[in-house]
Amino acid sequence: MSARKRTLLKVIILGDSGVGKTSLMNQYVNKKFTAQYKATIGADFLTKEVQVEDRLVTMQIWDTAGQERFQSLGVAFYRGADCCVLVYDVNVMKSFDNLENWRAEFLIQASPQDPENFPFVVLGNKVDVDGGNSRVVSEKKAKQWCTAHGNIPYFETSAKEDYNVDAAFQCIAKNALKNETEEEIYLPDTIDVTQNRPTKSSACEC
Amino acid sequence: MGGGGGGGGENEMYGSMEQGNEVDYSAPLRHQEMSHSVASTSAVQQRTGSAGGPESEPSGVIDDYEVVYVKDNVSVHPTQNALGRISGRLRLIKQGSSLFMTWIPYSHGGISRQGSNVVIKGGLRNRMGSRAAERDRNLYTIRAVSLSEMRSIRRQTPPFGWQYIIIVLTSGLAFPPLYFHNGGVKEFLGTIRNHALLVRSAEDANVYLVNDIQDPLQRSLTSLELTEQPAPSAPTSSQEAPWPVVLKQETPVAAESDGKQEQSLRQIFKQEQRSESGRRRDQARDLSMNVLEKFSLVTKFARETTAQIFGESRMFLDGLDMDRGPVPRPPPGPSTPPDVEVLGIAKEARPLLENKHMKEESSSALNSADEEVVDDNLNADDDAEEQAATNVGTFELVDGTQDDTPALVWGRARPPPLGTEEWRSFLDSEGRVMDPKALRKRIFHGGIEPEVRHVVWKFLLGYFRFDSTYAEREYLIAKKKEEYEILKAQWQTVSPEQAKRFAKYRERKHRVEKDVVRTDRTLPYYAGEGDDNANITVLRDILVTYSFYNFDLGYCQGMSDLLSPILYVVDSESEAFWCFAALMEHLAPNFHRDQNGMHSQLLALSKLVQLLDRPLHDYFKQVDCLNYFFCFRWILIQFKREFDFENVLKLWEVLWTNYLSEHFHLYMCVALLKRHRRRIMDEQMEFDTLLKFINELSGHINLESTLRDAEALCLHAGERGAACIPPGTPPSIPEEEAGGWSD
Repeated sequence: MSARKRTLLKVIILGDSGVGKTSLMNQYVNKKFTAQYKATIGADFLTKEVQVEDRLVTMQIWDTAGQERFQSLGVAFYRGADCCVLVYDVNVMKSFDNLENWRAEFLIQASPQDPENFPFVVLGNKVDVDGGNSRVVSEKKAKQWCTAHGNIPYFETSAKEDYNVDAAFQCIAKNALKNETEEEIYLPDTIDVTQNRPTKSSACEC
Repeated sequence: MGGGGGGGGENEMYGSMEQGNEVDYSAPLRHQEMSHSVASTSAVQQRTGSAGGPESEPSGVIDDYEVVYVKDNVSVHPTQNALGRISGRLRLIKQGSSLFMTWIPYSHGGISRQGSNVVIKGGLRNRMGSRAAERDRNLYTIRAVSLSEMRSIRRQTPPFGWQYIIIVLTSGLAFPPLYFHNGGVKEFLGTIRNHALLVRSAEDANVYLVNDIQDPLQRSLTSLELTEQPAPSAPTSSQEAPWPVVLKQETPVAAESDGKQEQSLRQIFKQEQRSESGRRRDQARDLSMNVLEKFSLVTKFARETTAQIFGESRMFLDGLDMDRGPVPRPPPGPSTPPDVEVLGIAKEARPLLENKHMKEESSSALNSADEEVVDDNLNADDDAEEQAATNVGTFELVDGTQDDTPALVWGRARPPPLGTEEWRSFLDSEGRVMDPKALRKRIFHGGIEPEVRHVVWKFLLGYFRFDSTYAEREYLIAKKKEEYEILKAQWQTVSPEQAKRFAKYRERKHRVEKDVVRTDRTLPYYAGEGDDNANITVLRDILVTYSFYNFDLGYCQGMSDLLSPILYVVDSESEAFWCFAALMEHLAPNFHRDQNGMHSQLLALSKLVQLLDRPLHDYFKQVDCLNYFFCFRWILIQFKREFDFENVLKLWEVLWTNYLSEHFHLYMCVALLKRHRRRIMDEQMEFDTLLKFINELSGHINLESTLRDAEALCLHAGERGAACIPPGTPPSIPEEEAGGWSD
């Protein structure tokens, strides 16, 4: 590992507006939550140093505008992504229904080399709202969707209560790193890692 | 781009210098086909060459000239090597009410003739072998720099070694440290204090801020800008001074009163300018480019020390622009403000130039010296940074080819905002705006007082026609209120049953509701949580109504940002709606699904940068950033997220005047990018880091100076700028649709 350059993992967060993309990112990176974020215009990102197994990596987490109308910008922002995080609000059915669109849109815009195996992670956010009483998307339904789309790891989160956020991003980093090492297979010290590549779902049943 | 590749011009430089030798020493000062700095640089060379020229005794030429401070063995240390030190004599010279500083290196490394007040006794011709050393000496020479040009003096007392000072000019440039081998720093500062205001910086006890209040211009600027400048940065008044103006003035700008003094002073402390034939002009330019290269060491040093003192993101003169051509003659005439003339002296005194390419070439020999200064200056003052950047930014304009009056922009404080009384004076007895253009011009330059803003905005936005009477407007308000209520009822009467079958409606309303509750909640007007504030509900109602009024466009993120200030100012639901609708006539393309409006603006911006800052354009090209997506937020919502609320209001009313350009916001973008160009290029920002950098400028932008920069850029670009922007680019309304916006 000695000669390896520091790894930068690029992670894109997508999902309908208001599902909590900015909040999740800020909770994870800055350990902060405020109810008064502004709607994201354009895009922004935060970075965080993450330990993944024995490696220290820098995760660059991109937060984008949630309105699909701005997707034509995606080409610029999604390029070189190592992992895509799809977020929906468990209290808003439409935001769950749109996961399909977000996933497809991402694959078109980012055009990764191996779309079939590109790592996604799904987060069902805002599980804290109203004690779960306003929830309209069940965990079961979400998991079914994830399974049907190639065993995408799934997490239920609350950015507000900092519930499951670290675990989710740890999984995101892990998956991103897998993707990243595959691309850098020419590096001699990546051989072991790629050989041991497990299936996604088992990697993140954390 | 001749600057970087000018290495082949070495011989020409010497050639030119030798020609300089033959120049009549007493030739009157003439300015100049080049920008000032180049001119004075070449003047340095000429000085060298003027061996055998008369050794003027200053006292014989200038009546009221007085040396008030002399110190020998003050040195510049271009390298760490002791042999490389250049010693010289530091002087403070009083003339009239002004104080000047000079530092003249000794000609042969020793002290020049005892008692001589004269600068170098030129040794070049006799000493071909030591030409390089001689040249170095001349590069570092500080000829009369007026105190009014100084921003600050930093005194540094290293535990080992000599005390030194670093003088930073208002332009943001700095001289290399001057080491006092025989002591005398205290005395030096004391002398200055006797003649000017010298204030110890609140930020850093080693820094003394200079403010030459004896200069009438300074005084007036100080008084004008006191309210805007935080106390510790008092001298920033001078930083706003129109140096570039001066630099650009070719015509001798002799003021009635002190023109003569200035002229004679020039003859002594400044260098005579030979007359420039066309042929020589080119040589001189080549010469200047070469000299610029030789300056690299100095300038790198200067830049770094300055940067350390005032923060990183400074822009320096982009020397490459130098070769664009001779600086045109500014229009003479009564429009030249008197300020310019007072500052004419500054022309001569700008010692250092910066060239971005020099940086790469320059040696790092000085780094360790720099480090002495670094540590205690890491926390640069944003304001100082802004200010300095502004000035250097403006400095860059000097070498443009466009002849216009950007010169007049700087140094002219923005007039106070349009108040009630003055607003009334624009109206005839029936309430018509008599001269809309004059009104727009007035607002463009000064903005609007809050108490009349709510009225005037309605005109600017096109809700009121300028030629409407009081009565007509009253009628309009009533009629439009009815119309609004009808529109609003369209969605408010949607029953729950109907809504179930109306997904588009539900989605829109949901989307609006998601956004209004996170729009400007820190403002008392919108404060609260959720929808517990009536004004939040009004925001929602207007936006949902608009999405029915313009169903094809619908609601799009960013609209709540555009509406919020309008509602706050107009404070009437139906009127805010119509004002917003009028604004959207211009900005709707920003929100089109295909993003065509945004793309055309980003493209225009790219062209403007290409025109106004070619090296920066080339840099963006090199790092594949020509899509300018990093400016997306700026443009989409007219800088709404970049300034605090009050400044957004100030900016928008300026933009909406359409006074200089319908696309003034793009010039704002250029101004901001230019201001940070050096940092962008030095740090080799790429798409992600650039985006981050731009996003983080939010809340740290000085509106006033950016407006001034943008105004200057806009004037400077003139027709060529307008040609960069295709017709129909938002916020222009395409010809066939143009309506209430015109005068």
